[in-house]
Amino acid sequence: MGKYIIKSLLQVIPVLLIVSIIVFVLVRVTGDPVALMLPETATAEDRAVLAEALGLNQPLYVQYLKFLGSALQGDFGKSFRYGESALPLVLERLPASFELAAAAMLFAVLMAVPLGVASAVKRNTFVDLLISGISVIGKAMPNFWMGIMLILLFSVIWGVLPVSGRGGLSHLILPAFTLGVGLAAQMTRLIRSSMLDILNQDYIRTARSKGIREIWVIGKHAFRNGMIPVVTIMSLQFTSLIGGTLITETVFAWPGLGQLLVVAVNTHDMAIVQAAVFVIAFIVVITNILTDVAYRLLDPRIKYD
Amino acid sequence: MQRKKWIGIWMTLLAAMVLVTACGGGNTGAGANTSADEKIEYEATKSQTLTFGVGTDIESFDPHNNNNTASEAVIVNVFDYLLKNDSEQNKVPGLATSWEQVNETTWQFKLREGVTFHNGDPFTAEDVKFTIERVAKDGALKQNSYFKNIVEVNIVDEHTVDIVTSEPDPLLLNRLSKMGAGILPSKYIQDKGVEAFLKEPVGTGPYKFSKWIKDDRVELVKNENYYEGQPKWDQVVFRVIPEASTRVSELLAGGIDVASGIPSTDIDRIQNADSKKIVKAPTQRVLQLILRHTEGIVTSDPKVREAIDLAIDKQGIVDSIAGGAGVVTRTSVTPGNFGADPSLYKQSLYDQERAKELLKEAGYADAGPELTISVSSQYKEQSEVVAAMLEQVGFKVNLDVLEPSAFSERYSSKSFKEIFMIGIGNSLFDASNNYNRYLFEEAKDETDYDNPEVEQLLQSALVNMDPASRELEYQQVQQIFAEDRPAVYLYQMEGVFGVDQRVNFQPRSDELFYAEEITPAAQ
Repeated sequence: MGKYIIKSLLQVIPVLLIVSIIVFVLVRVTGDPVALMLPETATAEDRAVLAEALGLNQPLYVQYLKFLGSALQGDFGKSFRYGESALPLVLERLPASFELAAAAMLFAVLMAVPLGVASAVKRNTFVDLLISGISVIGKAMPNFWMGIMLILLFSVIWGVLPVSGRGGLSHLILPAFTLGVGLAAQMTRLIRSSMLDILNQDYIRTARSKGIREIWVIGKHAFRNGMIPVVTIMSLQFTSLIGGTLITETVFAWPGLGQLLVVAVNTHDMAIVQAAVFVIAFIVVITNILTDVAYRLLDPRIKYD
Repeated sequence: MQRKKWIGIWMTLLAAMVLVTACGGGNTGAGANTSADEKIEYEATKSQTLTFGVGTDIESFDPHNNNNTASEAVIVNVFDYLLKNDSEQNKVPGLATSWEQVNETTWQFKLREGVTFHNGDPFTAEDVKFTIERVAKDGALKQNSYFKNIVEVNIVDEHTVDIVTSEPDPLLLNRLSKMGAGILPSKYIQDKGVEAFLKEPVGTGPYKFSKWIKDDRVELVKNENYYEGQPKWDQVVFRVIPEASTRVSELLAGGIDVASGIPSTDIDRIQNADSKKIVKAPTQRVLQLILRHTEGIVTSDPKVREAIDLAIDKQGIVDSIAGGAGVVTRTSVTPGNFGADPSLYKQSLYDQERAKELLKEAGYADAGPELTISVSSQYKEQSEVVAAMLEQVGFKVNLDVLEPSAFSERYSSKSFKEIFMIGIGNSLFDASNNYNRYLFEEAKDETDYDNPEVEQLLQSALVNMDPASRELEYQQVQQIFAEDRPAVYLYQMEGVFGVDQRVNFQPRSDELFYAEEITPAAQ
C-alpha cells in the first residue's frame, strides 16, 4: 500500500511538469502583458524598458527555466497586476472557492437524495416524471443565465437575499444554488437508477415477503446500498466544482479563485494564471489519488500495484 | 462491514461540508441573519457610508505602479497630488499652495504646512523628493514613462522644492496632477519597506485605508485630521462587481449608491426604478479608426481616406450601439484638454453618395478596395456597424475581431493592416498625448504617417513653454488632420452611471471618484 502511494505521488511530478509547460507557453504566445500594462500612448521605448525590467525580453526557454527554478522553491513569480507574489494571492482565494463548492455540494446532496429516492420508489408515476423533468431542466440551464434570474427574483424583486459579494450565510445561498443545481440534477438521476437496481434485488424481495413495512425496506435495506455510487460521483465532482466556479463567481462577484483567474487571463497576468492553474491541477491530482486509495482500502479485491 | 464503512465516509464528508459552510458563514457574518436591531443600525450607518459598485478592482495602493483609471479613481481619496485638477480640469492647489517657473527646466513649489500623513508623520519637502524621484528613476514602475524626464528634486527648505526636468517640459504640471504623482510617506517606506506600506498604505488624503479584500471591496474611513476639514462621509466603500447586470441589480436592490459602466440596454430599467437615476458625462476616450499611410496600401490615397470618413454615420452608431452615450467629433482633443479646437467638436461628416464618387475618382470604378479592420472585442458591435456602412459604399471589409490581449500584442508589435479601431484616452489632458504617435519616429511601421509640417508643429509644441502659441500649434495640427485624416474619429465616449437619489453625484471627465465631491441629497 505504501509503495502504491509513493508510486502515484511520483507520477504526479511529470503531470505537473507538463501542465506547467503547457500553461507557460500558452500565456506567452497569446498576448503581450507589457502592452496591456502601459497606456495606449506609450512609445516603443517605454515598452522595451518595462519588458526588460520584467525579464520578458529573454528567450522563452530561459524564461521557463528561471520560472521552473523558482517554482520548485514555491515562488511562482510576481503578479504584474498586484505586484505581489502570485502563489499567496492564489492560496488566499482558496477558502472562498472551497466554501462555495462545499455549499453547492451540500445543496446538491440535500436535493438529490430525497428526489432520487422518491423518483425510484414512485417509478413511472407522475412524481417520477415530474422529478425527471425538473432534473433535465436543471442540468440544461446555463449557470450564467440562472444566476442573473435568481438575483432578479430574490434580491431585486423580493429583496430577501443579498445580490452579490461574500459575507454571511445569506450571501452563500444564491451562488451555491446556482452552482449546485446542475450537480443535483445529475445526482438525482444517478440515485434513481442505482435505487431501481437495488429494489429489484433478491434481498429486497425477501425483505418485503417477510412482511417488513415498505418504509423500512427502502430506508434501511435499499437506501444504504443505493448511496454507494453517489460517493464516487461526489469526490469526482468536488474537484470540478473547484475549477468550474468561474462563471458563478463572476456573476455573484464572489472573490474566489475563479474570479481571480478570469481577471488574470483578461489582464494577461502570467504569474497568477500559472500559479492558479498549477494549484487547480494539484488539487485534482491529489483528490484522484485519495479517491483511489480509499477504493483500495475499502475493496480488498483491488491489488495495490 | 464494507457497507458500513461507506456510509461512515459519506456521513463524515457531509459533516465536514456542513462545518466548512458554517465556518464560512461565521467569519464575516456581518450581513448574515440580520436581526431587527442590526438592521436599524445598518440603516443608520448607511446614511454616512458612500458605496460605489465598480467593474474592476484596483491593482494596488502603489500610485507609481498602476496604470488604470479604476485604481486611480479609488486611491485619489487616500493620496494627494501637489496640485489637483478640478472637475473642469483647471489646476488648483493640492499639497502645493503655489508654484512658479524658475527657468526653462526648473519649477519651484511651495508646500502646504501643517499637513500630516495618516500615521502621524509630518508632510515635508523630503516626501516630495522621495516620491517624485522614485517614480522618475525606476523603469519597472508602470508610471515611469510619464515621469522619466524629471532629473531631480531639490529641497530648498522644509516646505519648498525645485523640480528639475531634462528639457523644457510644458506638461510638468499635468504630470504632477495625475496618478504617478501621489505623494508617499518617505520615512514610513524607508523604515518599513514598500511591501509593508502596500499592506497598510498611508497618504495625506481625506480618507484612510481600512481594508482591501481583493476582487471584493476596498474600504476607506474618514481622516479626521484632513487639512481641509472634516470629510463628508464616515466611510467610503468600493465594491468590485465585474458583471454589469449584477451591478445594476445591486443598485436596484439598494446595495450600492453609484454604479459605473451601465450597459446601454439597462438604462431604461434604472430610469424607471423608484429613487434611481442615470447620469452621463463625457470621458476622455475617443473611439477612432487609425489608417495606414504606407506606400502601396489603399488607405494611403487621400480620396480613399475621405471616402471612409464620409461613409460612416457616426451619430447613427452613437444612437444605436452606445444608447446615446457619445458625442460625435472630428478631433480626438476634446474640450477640457489643452489644445482643443472647439470648431471640430460635435461635428461629423456623413455623405455616402459623395463617398461612392470619391471611390470612383480614386480609380475603383467596378470593385471597391479591400480593407482589413482590426479591433479589440470590446468594440465588436461598433466595428460591425462600421464595416456594414463601408460595404454600402463599395468597400470590401474583412473584420478582424481580437481578444483584448491579442489586440494589445498586435498593437505593440505594430502589425495591423489597413485600419485598426481603438478607443484612446488622455490621462494628461494635453493634446500631445493624442498626437505623439504621429511623430515621424513613432509612426514608423504603425501608420507611416509622414507630414513635415505636422512634424515641425508637434516637435515645437513638445518643448514650447508659452501656452498661447503652443495651443495654436495643436489647433493647426487638428485642422490639418481633419483634412488629411490619419485617423477617422467616430465619437467621444460617455460614462454612464446609475445613481441612488440619496446622493448628488456628477461624474468627472477623468472618470475619478472623489468622495469629497459627492454629497448626500437633502432629506
